[in-house]
Amino acid sequence: MKRSAGKLLAVGGISCGTAFALHWAGWIPLWVFAAVVVLAFPPTVLALFLWWMAGEGKEDIPFIGY
Amino acid sequence: MIAELVLATLFGLLLLGIHRKVIARIQRRPGPPVWQEILHAAKFSFKTTWVPATASRALFIGIVLVAIGIWTAAFFVMMTGGSLLVIFGIYMLHKIVEHAFGLSSGSPYGKFGGVRSVISAASEIPLFVSVAAIALFTRSLTLSDIIAWQQVHGPLLIIAFPAAIAMYLVLLSKMPFGPFSIVEAKELVSGYKTEHFGVWRAGLEVCNGLKTTVLLATFLLLFVGQLPIWWMVIGMVIITVSLSFTCAITPMLSPFDSVTIQSLFTGLMLVYAGIVFLGVAA
Repeated sequence: MKRSAGKLLAVGGISCGTAFALHWAGWIPLWVFAAVVVLAFPPTVLALFLWWMAGEGKEDIPFIGY
Repeated sequence: MIAELVLATLFGLLLLGIHRKVIARIQRRPGPPVWQEILHAAKFSFKTTWVPATASRALFIGIVLVAIGIWTAAFFVMMTGGSLLVIFGIYMLHKIVEHAFGLSSGSPYGKFGGVRSVISAASEIPLFVSVAAIALFTRSLTLSDIIAWQQVHGPLLIIAFPAAIAMYLVLLSKMPFGPFSIVEAKELVSGYKTEHFGVWRAGLEVCNGLKTTVLLATFLLLFVGQLPIWWMVIGMVIITVSLSFTCAITPMLSPFDSVTIQSLFTGLMLVYAGIVFLGVAA
């Protein structure tokens, strides 16, 4: 889990970074840069959290009250 | 723009922390430190995480991605002075996202939270009728055009004050612990987010931070105009504190009362938009 989260984090980070660099250099328009970030930013954030998360647990039933 | 995106998220969480602190001080409690919501997001991100056995796995995880994604898109639209309709469209999407959060978990509390989200959407979204008044004045629904119009004619806060009130109600509806926060009422534990814990909740916190910044900044751009960055920051803090005062001194309404009051304001806004239309037509 940690390893795949790390890979996803790297892919997401590189995608955002590359899109930013290409937009900064004027090779891609703003909307393409924005589209890449909109798609890549959410999985990058979750991958970052899953990568540094303390551990993994077993599934549980939700809290359903009394 | 990526650095701004991250800073906007952190600033939004800081504003939510200020919101909690102000409410606590009004209620004569010490309250948490103002950076508590940032710590909250960090804390959840370190927690052990899994997907509940009764949850729809794809929806349970996917909806967190959608929640962050739509407000990232709204952030770009706001920063580039894009269409106001897109930002409001994303606001509507957020109501569907809240609904999906609740339904995905399999928890009855989450489901009730999700259902309330749809109920509140029925009365919050019509408040956007205030944009009709703005469009009648400015002849545009593009944020950059509205900002340019205000540089010539003055802030819409004065010219279209009732529209600003209606949008303020929309902001109030999205603030936690407010009179219209029926989706997070305590009888539902944490409402639609009851079962999203650990990393998933941290993702939701990121969404909330971004959403708070985007909505407050859009309100300022829409009704005050373009300000230097530090004035934007001060303005957003002032609006947050004013919202906190309202939340602190107002009890949470029942779902029926919440919808009724918002619908009454929508009716008043329709009358106002009609008056503006007749004035403009004349």
